[in-house]
Amino acid sequence: MTARFADFVERDARDRGTPLRFGFPPYPVMGMSREVLRGYVEGADPITSEPLMDEIVEALTSPLTEKEKHPTIVRKPRHSRLLLADAPENLYRQFVENGWTDGLPIVLPTEARVAEMLTGTDRGAHEIVGRMLITTHQEKMEYTVEKVAAIAVMAGARPEHFPVILALAASQEPSMPSSTTSWGRMMVVNGPIRDEIGMNCGTAALSPFNLANSVIGRAWTLMSINFGDARAGETFMASFGHNLNYNNMCFGENEELSVFEPFHVQKGFRPDESVVSLFRGWNVLNFGLGPAKEMAHVISTFGAMASTVTFVVDPLVAKNLRAEGFQTKRDACKWIVENSKVPAGHYWEGQMQAGFAAGLAKQGIEPFASWAKLPKDAPIAPRRSPDDINIVVAGGETNPMWITTDFMHTRSVSIDPWRPKCGIRRDARPLRMPAAVTCKDGMCGIPEVAPAREAEVVSGQKTPVSR
Amino acid sequence: MEQGNGKLTVLDPRGQPTGIFGRRLDAESNPRAILDPAEQPSGELKPIALAPRLSTLQGKTVYLVETGFAGSVEFMQEVQEWFGRRMPDVKIVMRQKRGTMFTDDPELWREMKAAGADAAILGVGG
Repeated sequence: MTARFADFVERDARDRGTPLRFGFPPYPVMGMSREVLRGYVEGADPITSEPLMDEIVEALTSPLTEKEKHPTIVRKPRHSRLLLADAPENLYRQFVENGWTDGLPIVLPTEARVAEMLTGTDRGAHEIVGRMLITTHQEKMEYTVEKVAAIAVMAGARPEHFPVILALAASQEPSMPSSTTSWGRMMVVNGPIRDEIGMNCGTAALSPFNLANSVIGRAWTLMSINFGDARAGETFMASFGHNLNYNNMCFGENEELSVFEPFHVQKGFRPDESVVSLFRGWNVLNFGLGPAKEMAHVISTFGAMASTVTFVVDPLVAKNLRAEGFQTKRDACKWIVENSKVPAGHYWEGQMQAGFAAGLAKQGIEPFASWAKLPKDAPIAPRRSPDDINIVVAGGETNPMWITTDFMHTRSVSIDPWRPKCGIRRDARPLRMPAAVTCKDGMCGIPEVAPAREAEVVSGQKTPVSR
Repeated sequence: MEQGNGKLTVLDPRGQPTGIFGRRLDAESNPRAILDPAEQPSGELKPIALAPRLSTLQGKTVYLVETGFAGSVEFMQEVQEWFGRRMPDVKIVMRQKRGTMFTDDPELWREMKAAGADAAILGVGG
């Protein structure tokens, strides 16, 4: 293990009751020349300043300590349901200083507020929803419906949002899986609940103009912090992190303006089911323009280890794809797979492929083994199946553009089991941010009263306003 | 709940420890499964004592097991060469763990025991 992760692995070994002996070469190892690596081997362990190989020989030959012969696991205590009562400003400080927030202001989860949130579902407060952890191997943390309600309160959610937040919790997927490579996530809601809770699927769906999109996306991260035990540098090891971690690209698919089948229906759900679909990846290119040929060209430039792509397309792009002759999303994806091939030489030049896929190729694992034998100019398709490519429709038809991501779809979770039987619990006057103005008749955004006067002010000229 | 003295009681937002830990994937698993809660192997832990140590490596067989992290093949080859230069009477066997860095390889561990391995060095991670 390299020195950069010395503390992490030693703590992990202790927690697991397996006190392994480590020697730590410097970091990084990936991409280093043989001369540098020889220097690591001949040199000192940066943690102990002792010669690395002497330390390793010593680790194999020095007698075991009593702790190594008889290791134990120290169980973490369960937390009390309530914190000690305190003034609001002290409690807020406690949340911030303990790392239980995302750094933005939160609503304190008082018992009354949590009880109010619980009216957003019929499920019992003490029902276990799932287990979560941002790492793959440490101790998983369990949470109840009530814990999820506390998170929803903190995020600023209303009871109407709670079923979606519970479905996210039920996925058991953290929004910030720990990796030095800095994952980002995306979540897409389909079905009737989008309208019922006022989600934005249209103009500016990915920008901060909608309460539901904002608080639901944020809640996923707050639960990842508190249920997933995210602590920077301790469990969360992303070198620079990902700005998507704040909100996880939360939006609804624009089913109404899409000419294609909704995403959740593609995944086997009924059109009238409400579903949240989760995606994971690293890269987001926010400017894409042109036909399917251009989409294929753009993804051929992506690092291909993950081999997955998700396009978020404006409804106009979906219509353009249909006009190109693709009857379904899958038709378009199939064509893109077949037309985004790259020369084998180009593929193997990628650092990820050279570092990871090359090892699999050596073991004879396909398709890497066959690809490794190809001449440099032979074309290969890093995305091997239309299933490796997703298309989600969002936006307000102000520009026929698409966003390219290397996101893979990880899971779709039904929201309906978390809805109250009597319907979504809405406030008497549901809280809504201003909806995007949708132009139907050439009057976009122009008030009914004295329109000519406002037009004059804006333009500085006498501009006729057509009705 | 407001207590009348300006104090509030609020819920502790943290998840509860379960005693359930994740484990390595099987060698044949899809590498993507490591991040899928439904496919992650997990269970209650039991403490594991370290194997008894050798008194010396002289004349012993030491396996160098490459874990699959980028750069680990080259690093372990340098370790092998170090033994050749500094401790030539140690017999070194280089092996690559099957699957990826996320997978376990019990078949290899069995093979090493059957072949009379005296010690193993796994590397390099991270």
